Amino acid sequence: MLNQSIVVIAEHVEGQVRPVTYELLAFAAALQKEMPSAKIKIVVIGDAMDAMADNIARKTGQGVFYIHVPGLSGYNAEVYKIILAGVLEELQASHVCTAHSSRGLDFAPGLAVRLGCACITGIEAIVKRNQKISFRRAICGGKIMADIQTDSRMALLCVLPGSFAPDSGESAAAGTVMKRALECAPQKSLSTGVIHKSLDAAAVAEADVIVAAGRGIGDKDHLDLIFRLAALFPRSAVGGSRIVCDSGWLDYDRQIGVTGSTVAPSLYIACGISGAVQHVSGMRGSGFVVAINSDPNAAIFNVSDVCIVEDLATFIPILIETHEKRRAEKEA
Amino acid sequence: MKLLVCVKQIHDPDVPVRVNTDSNWVEFDGDAYVMNRFDGFALEEALQLREAFPGLRIDVVTVGPERADAVLRRSLGMGADHGIHILTESGGYQSPFATAAWIAAYATGCNYDLILTGVMSGDDMNGQVGPLAAEILHLPCATAVIFRRMMPESGRIYVERELEGGLRDALEMELPALLTVQSGINRPRYPSLSKMLRANKHAVDVIPSGSLGSPSIHLSVSQTLLPQKMRAGRVLEGNPREKACRLLDILQTRSMLASENSAC
Repeated sequence: MLNQSIVVIAEHVEGQVRPVTYELLAFAAALQKEMPSAKIKIVVIGDAMDAMADNIARKTGQGVFYIHVPGLSGYNAEVYKIILAGVLEELQASHVCTAHSSRGLDFAPGLAVRLGCACITGIEAIVKRNQKISFRRAICGGKIMADIQTDSRMALLCVLPGSFAPDSGESAAAGTVMKRALECAPQKSLSTGVIHKSLDAAAVAEADVIVAAGRGIGDKDHLDLIFRLAALFPRSAVGGSRIVCDSGWLDYDRQIGVTGSTVAPSLYIACGISGAVQHVSGMRGSGFVVAINSDPNAAIFNVSDVCIVEDLATFIPILIETHEKRRAEKEA
Repeated sequence: MKLLVCVKQIHDPDVPVRVNTDSNWVEFDGDAYVMNRFDGFALEEALQLREAFPGLRIDVVTVGPERADAVLRRSLGMGADHGIHILTESGGYQSPFATAAWIAAYATGCNYDLILTGVMSGDDMNGQVGPLAAEILHLPCATAVIFRRMMPESGRIYVERELEGGLRDALEMELPALLTVQSGINRPRYPSLSKMLRANKHAVDVIPSGSLGSPSIHLSVSQTLLPQKMRAGRVLEGNPREKACRLLDILQTRSMLASENSAC
């Protein structure tokens, strides 16, 4: 097909473009290699986003379509769906790239219904097999990957942050910015702004060593083991996966993952953590990763340097005891 | 007021799972099933709403094979008023577009004031059924809701959606609306024994999915496979004590322990 395009929807919060936008562009470029006739276009939606649109065009060298919606200072799902349904048809989009983020997941599926097309979420890779493109995504808590394909004329693709490395540096020539004003007011919802929840994530953000607890700790009482293990290391902190915080066992300040903190300590010890993408994307930058899990197929082992298949309630006490014995022997 | 909560039965996440022989879906090593953890938060939200607004009716719907009846029983045991089972053939990949279309087809004309579901399912992890169903039903939708307040005077609901990095989108929506509920918004209750006993006798409406039409499903699976290892993934062998020694040696070599250790 001629004139078809790969459209990237820029994600921004409080007037700042989110870095994932540039990852989406890397994804779009990878997709373009499979369909060289397609053009990449970037869509920015909002009010007073001229500088952002210019910046994106300069940095990427791609054409930016800036939809100026007077009064839309932030995000509104209804407005996004109405505007994008029209714009994507006009741009003859075959593939639409948006982030697998809270915002992307909020509007993309509904937009697909509006356009009568497909939506695929959680995309980590592009796969070509028998001349057909599939999109690889994790299922079953990350234990299995599924390649999903579609025959839909258009596909909305929610790309997992951290999966495609953004192009560093600026493009030689700035892309052009096309601006168009569109009036659109939501009928059934009213966005009232962005709220900042004060998370005191300093403890995990600054730690050199993080010992993190997951669902596999099984019992709140075992949390004590995690703290004792952490105490073996200088500048250490205890963190946890979302499920541990949801259970009230640890404060959300200590949550590692998409909706918590993103950390990169020199050592990360994952205890009873299954390794779902939501958690992994918050710790994959760690220097050295040790995982302790009784399930030999736990997804966390795929992102670990050292894998220990043991029940942590029995293993951690042995580990601490062995460490103390060795230290005592050395001092003797 | 009438509420609909959409719940899903999934395999217990602890049941071993592998790629099936045709490499086009998965198979599990056992028959242990649970309610999708995320849907528990949606149902608990509904139950708390009923405590605040007595007289409110809570229907629970699930899409699944015969065994999925158990997730409706559990919902009734937690306190839901009525169950609807959209019955599918068992096994294999199911597109979220089909699930959403059937739920929407069922809900059309039922006049639900609010539809709630979990933010995603723990097995397929699409996060799509809620927002897809909302759009089919022309309802306003908010996903990843971490706080809500009913505004009964105005027929609206105030919600906060969880974004990344400690931020939230705040919005007011007209009812009827659909919300997908983020985990951690509440602590889902356990079913009570007396309610479970009653739940087992309770009649559930069974609707064959085929009678709700055959929607465009858009998606298919071309292949399933194991994830790639992103790191060395050195598996320590031996008994627990030997593994502990090996781990301490590795950490010591990397100068990661508080004090020097002698080898054991």
